[in-house]
Amino acid sequence: MGDKKDVWQGTLALMVLKTLETLGPLHGYGIARRIEQTSGDLLSVNYGTLYPALLKLEQEGYISSEWGVSDNNRKANYYKLTRAGRKQLEKETQEWEQTTAILARFLSYEEETS
Amino acid sequence: MKWLRASWMRLRSLFCKEQFDRELTEELANHVEMHIEDNLRAGMTPEEARRNALLKLGGLEQTKESVRDQRTLPFLESLFQDLRFALRLLRKSPAFTATAVLTLALGIGATAAMFGVVYSLLFDPFPYQGADRLAVINIHDLKQNADSGSDREEFSIPEFLEYQQHNHVFEDLVGSYSAVVRLEDGGGTTTFGAAYVTGNTFDFYGVPPQMGRGIVPEDAAPGAPPVFVMNYKVWTADFAADSKILGKTYLIDGIRRTLVGIMPPRFQVGGGRLWLPLDLSSAAAASTPVDKLVRLWTVGRLKPGLSLAVAAADVQVLAKRLVKDYPKEYPEQFNVNVQNLVEALVGNFKVMLYVLLGAVAILLLIACSNVANLMLAKATTREREIGVRVSLGAGPIRLVRQLLAESLLLATLACLVGCFFAYFGLKGISATVPANTLPDEAVIGFNPVVLLFAVALSFSTTLLCGLAPAVHAVRGSLQERLSGSGKNVNTPSGHGPFRTALVIAEVALSVVLLTGAGLLTRSFVALTSIDLGFNPKDILFAQLSAPPERKDTIEDQKLFFDQALPRVKALPGVVSATAAYSLPPVSGTYSDVTVPGKTHSEPRYTRLELCSAGFFETMQLHLLRGRVLSESDIASSRRVIVVNETLARRFFPSEDPIGQEVKFDWFDKLAGAPHDAYFEIIGVVRDFSNWDVRKSAPLPEAILPYTILARDRRIILARTSLPPDSLLPAVRREIWAVDPKIAIDTGNLQDFLAEDSYSEPRFNLITSGAFAGIALLLVVMGVFSVMAYSVSLRTHEIGVRMALGATQDSILKMVLAKGFRLIAAGLVIGLLVSFAQTRFIANQIWGVSVTDPLTFFSVVVLVALVGFTACILPAHCATKVDPVIALRYE
Repeated sequence: MGDKKDVWQGTLALMVLKTLETLGPLHGYGIARRIEQTSGDLLSVNYGTLYPALLKLEQEGYISSEWGVSDNNRKANYYKLTRAGRKQLEKETQEWEQTTAILARFLSYEEETS
Repeated sequence: MKWLRASWMRLRSLFCKEQFDRELTEELANHVEMHIEDNLRAGMTPEEARRNALLKLGGLEQTKESVRDQRTLPFLESLFQDLRFALRLLRKSPAFTATAVLTLALGIGATAAMFGVVYSLLFDPFPYQGADRLAVINIHDLKQNADSGSDREEFSIPEFLEYQQHNHVFEDLVGSYSAVVRLEDGGGTTTFGAAYVTGNTFDFYGVPPQMGRGIVPEDAAPGAPPVFVMNYKVWTADFAADSKILGKTYLIDGIRRTLVGIMPPRFQVGGGRLWLPLDLSSAAAASTPVDKLVRLWTVGRLKPGLSLAVAAADVQVLAKRLVKDYPKEYPEQFNVNVQNLVEALVGNFKVMLYVLLGAVAILLLIACSNVANLMLAKATTREREIGVRVSLGAGPIRLVRQLLAESLLLATLACLVGCFFAYFGLKGISATVPANTLPDEAVIGFNPVVLLFAVALSFSTTLLCGLAPAVHAVRGSLQERLSGSGKNVNTPSGHGPFRTALVIAEVALSVVLLTGAGLLTRSFVALTSIDLGFNPKDILFAQLSAPPERKDTIEDQKLFFDQALPRVKALPGVVSATAAYSLPPVSGTYSDVTVPGKTHSEPRYTRLELCSAGFFETMQLHLLRGRVLSESDIASSRRVIVVNETLARRFFPSEDPIGQEVKFDWFDKLAGAPHDAYFEIIGVVRDFSNWDVRKSAPLPEAILPYTILARDRRIILARTSLPPDSLLPAVRREIWAVDPKIAIDTGNLQDFLAEDSYSEPRFNLITSGAFAGIALLLVVMGVFSVMAYSVSLRTHEIGVRMALGATQDSILKMVLAKGFRLIAAGLVIGLLVSFAQTRFIANQIWGVSVTDPLTFFSVVVLVALVGFTACILPAHCATKVDPVIALRYE
């Protein structure tokens, strides 16, 4: 467990949004597992940061929550992407892609000149 | 937007905390359960699965805490905690809370009320467009004193037109001329104060009418249909707010005019209750009751950005030009002042207002220092509690915040109570404020501005009296606090001298306020008890005005009085009745006097009163020499006069005045008066007040038979044995029975005098008395709280002293001596300041020296007594200290 990386604060929100877009309504535990699985178990989601992040997204209106019943008949709080959330996801994805592209070009340029 | 939404949701969740907490607990529990199930599925043993899941979640409580921080506003939440805690504390010591709240509320209430007055009168007196640029022009005779009242602010029509058309500094000028008009509506005749206004007046002031329209320039054009506009008060009081009267016609001074509009309550231009258009063109001047003697009271609005001095310089050029055309209208040497309208109207009263505002500011300071004192005292007894908090990890900011939360709570309560005080204070003030010293437009009352001021005041006073104790409380070493007993005399808490200084300041300030109030009281007593020379008690008056177009002759008037006076006199309860020319104490007119065979350089003028034989009995004048006017003198219009002592002394210093003859120059210029007529002096009466009650020296006065001269305004005075007000309807009935066309204005002379001469000193007296009373109350609270506190701090010391053999007497003496030292110091400082500030109130003081020993002595005795009383209880408590208990405290 020790060599797994904690999720960066800024990217956690994006991951949550993306997860909800892909899987539809999901509870907190499901979101955490999904993020960990998608990262190929390279990331470890700290729940101490997950739940405040979910609340923050809810307060900002990007996701909404509702109590429902899970697969194995358990009451759970389901989070769902809102329309604003979908827009935000699009915007952040684009920004993120741009950033990584710039960074990638920058890094490869360094290599060429060195 | 996003930020706003989030804050809103956070704020909202402050209020349904429990539900959120429950849901969060459930959600996290579910989370763990699901994790355990997954782990089980992955093949772990139940214990392992559980352990792993909990480990992964990492501290359930930390997670909850960080979610909570995200969900609400932690700052606000801890503020709520502080407030709740403060509330509990305040509830625990109701005596402290009540004292602090009441003290602050008194200060805040008084200051807010006074601010309300100053705001209404000096900052928002007029509802008019560009009100702060309204100004009046006055011509000041350089040979006269600035406040001699000789400045001219009114101008003839040609002068007005010259100023209006040729100045470069005013946007426009308006003129008005007030007159008493008679309004006949078919039912009866009523007189109203009216203002003839130039056609541009209503546009100039820019106040939309309540109903209908204002006067427009076309109304003042020659040949325009006659119209008039009514003020709100007349409409509601005399016409029962009937909206159907708009468009009706009324006979006003013989001209049929249409009512075209009603103005809102605060529109009071020219002091009129009715407004009539004034046609300035000379052709029409003859048809309105306007002659060459008419003077227009002129108001202008300065162009933006121009100073009064610049305006004065511009008008001065015009005035110098006018001197050539109207040499008699201007003094030999003069200058022109342009004065702000508010300044001109509120003038002298402003000084008093600022004095009063200063007084309430002092009160507020006293209140603040009292509360600061109380809080310092509390902070000291809580040193231990604060020590514990600090050792548990509370930072200084957090501590100050918590202590300030207490002051905030106090301030909020004080603000509420203070607003309550201010509301009733303002009601009281608007009832006692001298009516004629204020612009009619000003409305004194509790308004949003006052409220805002009170709130701002509350919070700044909180900072003022809460911050110092709070900072004091958190300063100092932690160890000392925890190790010391908190009441140890060997480690004095360090703010002793500060508290002492506060009490001394309080006593000193109350001395200053009390001497001021005392002097005003003495002055008021002196003023109301001066010998007027006549007895105003139980005199009723009826001011009469006959239709001016009737032009009553002397014979008509004699006919009228010959019938009316006996009728009034015959009423049960009337002792005597007389015709007169003007309401005492101000004689109506004056004239220069020529004494045969004497030349003189200085002006020789005298006041004139025209009356019937009953005047002397009714006024109860005291005859010194000769005889008074007789019925036959009146009946035959004999040229005889009775004079007062001042006239006799001034004009006949060495000879016997009886039998001397004088001529009144004014009569020579007056049509219908006897020209070149000499009057024989037949009697001398003792001086009586015939000018301003407050100016002690009477002017020369001559009393003539009313049958010498016909005037269109007359009065009847009657001395009664019943309360005068009860006879007024009967008097009106008798007069109308003789002449129904006469308009009557009745009243009670003493009330009229009180309103006219005493209302301003009374207002000063009531307000300053109230302030001084509050100040004294605050001194009691201040001295008491400080002494009680200092005794409680010294319980241990007193215990030791008693254990070592000190008697109760010596303890009592010790505590009282400390209290006395404080009071004595305050008294000395207060007296010094009072002596220094006397010149500020000198012009409000009448008939008593500003350093009146009696006043100063009484104040010293009063404050000393009050202070002493406030010391007794704590001192008594000190003697009841049980040494065993006091020492066990350690």
